[in-house]
Amino acid sequence: MLEKPDGPDLLATAREVLLKELLPALPPDKVFAARMVANAMAIAAREAQADTAAVPARDLAQLSREIRAGRHDPGTPTHDAMRTWLRDYARLRAGVSAPKALG
Amino acid sequence: MDEARLTRLRDWLAAASGDASLRIEQAQKLSGGAIQQNWALDVETIAGAQRWVLRTDSAAVLAVSLPRTAEYALLKAAWDAGVTVPEPLFLCEDPGVTGAPFFIMRRVGGTALGPRVVKDAALGGGREQLARALGRELARIHRIRPPRPDLAFLGAPPADAGLAVIATLRGRLDAAGTPRPAIEWGLRAAERSAPPPVPPVLVHNDFRTGNLMLDASGVTGVLDWEFAAWGDGHADLGWLCAKCWRFGNVAQEAGGLGPRKALYAGYETESGATVDDARVRWWELMAHLRWAVIAADQAQRHLSGEERSLELALTGHIVPELEWEILFLSEGR
Repeated sequence: MLEKPDGPDLLATAREVLLKELLPALPPDKVFAARMVANAMAIAAREAQADTAAVPARDLAQLSREIRAGRHDPGTPTHDAMRTWLRDYARLRAGVSAPKALG
Repeated sequence: MDEARLTRLRDWLAAASGDASLRIEQAQKLSGGAIQQNWALDVETIAGAQRWVLRTDSAAVLAVSLPRTAEYALLKAAWDAGVTVPEPLFLCEDPGVTGAPFFIMRRVGGTALGPRVVKDAALGGGREQLARALGRELARIHRIRPPRPDLAFLGAPPADAGLAVIATLRGRLDAAGTPRPAIEWGLRAAERSAPPPVPPVLVHNDFRTGNLMLDASGVTGVLDWEFAAWGDGHADLGWLCAKCWRFGNVAQEAGGLGPRKALYAGYETESGATVDDARVRWWELMAHLRWAVIAADQAQRHLSGEERSLELALTGHIVPELEWEILFLSEGR
């Protein structure tokens, strides 16, 4: 319904301009800010394309209370499934925020 | 700093140093923390030109950080214990001079910037030598032990420093109101595997790459004492070695700067005590948990509108990679 190129395309294209054309022309004390802008654009582009449905939604407040109370400790029937879900959830989020950290 | 403040500052410094001829040649704001402001002062005195730093509070002060007066007392204690810190010179508790309490310390050379120092393998005489020097600095800090009337503001040492940090972090998660199950998972794993308490020492609590001034010869200044507290000295070793503070240079386990073994060796030589590696590893999990809670709180300052800032916003996006690491560090605990 909306016109192309879409948001992620525009962000990626604008980021290229920022890094290749603008950054080299900036005074040294503005380089950090420009890199932060580039990083923010990359996160926003990845977020728009993330498959959030790949990890089933859970009640985070309830999970947090249960974990703190030891209900999913090693040796409990739910421990392995909980650990797997937490990993999937962290992988999804880190994949948007900092994919390099996933190696 | 406006003319009126500079004049008041000059008069105060002249009185404090007993040198009526003292002149401030230059006062320049240094790039620095969100919590405090640093000014480089070039001063002419009877004894010649002096290069000082004036350190004062910013408008937005973190509730968990210590005020300048306390930081000055810590700096003095560290200086007396032989820690390489900028020499503390004068403390002014009167907010009427510059607008907030401040202290003056000598300016030290070198660079602290994390991304830069981890790339320079020649700093401090090479990675091995630098890591040893860092170990010696920590051992000297940990020689400062309670009771210390001059450090009374630190309060009584916790009965169990590790469990106390876990309780504090849970409290901050609850106060933030954003449930974070992966951090809870790590805190629970830490609680299950907490080592028994040890006699308390002074813990710097932010001894990491970025807060350590370094040059070609070694450490020129251990900075940022505002989070210091009584606790387990291994916490400082763990904070320095935590993967999240290696600035990408993960192979050098002591802060991206040098080998872990050399850090421990320097520490053991200076302290005469043995480093408990398993205990350090436990504190590395705690380091990731603490940094994750701090990063989430910083993003919240942006989200709430209290301080809209791209840097704070991006700090929040560090949390998922910390959670990823926390899940691995929690294995087997």
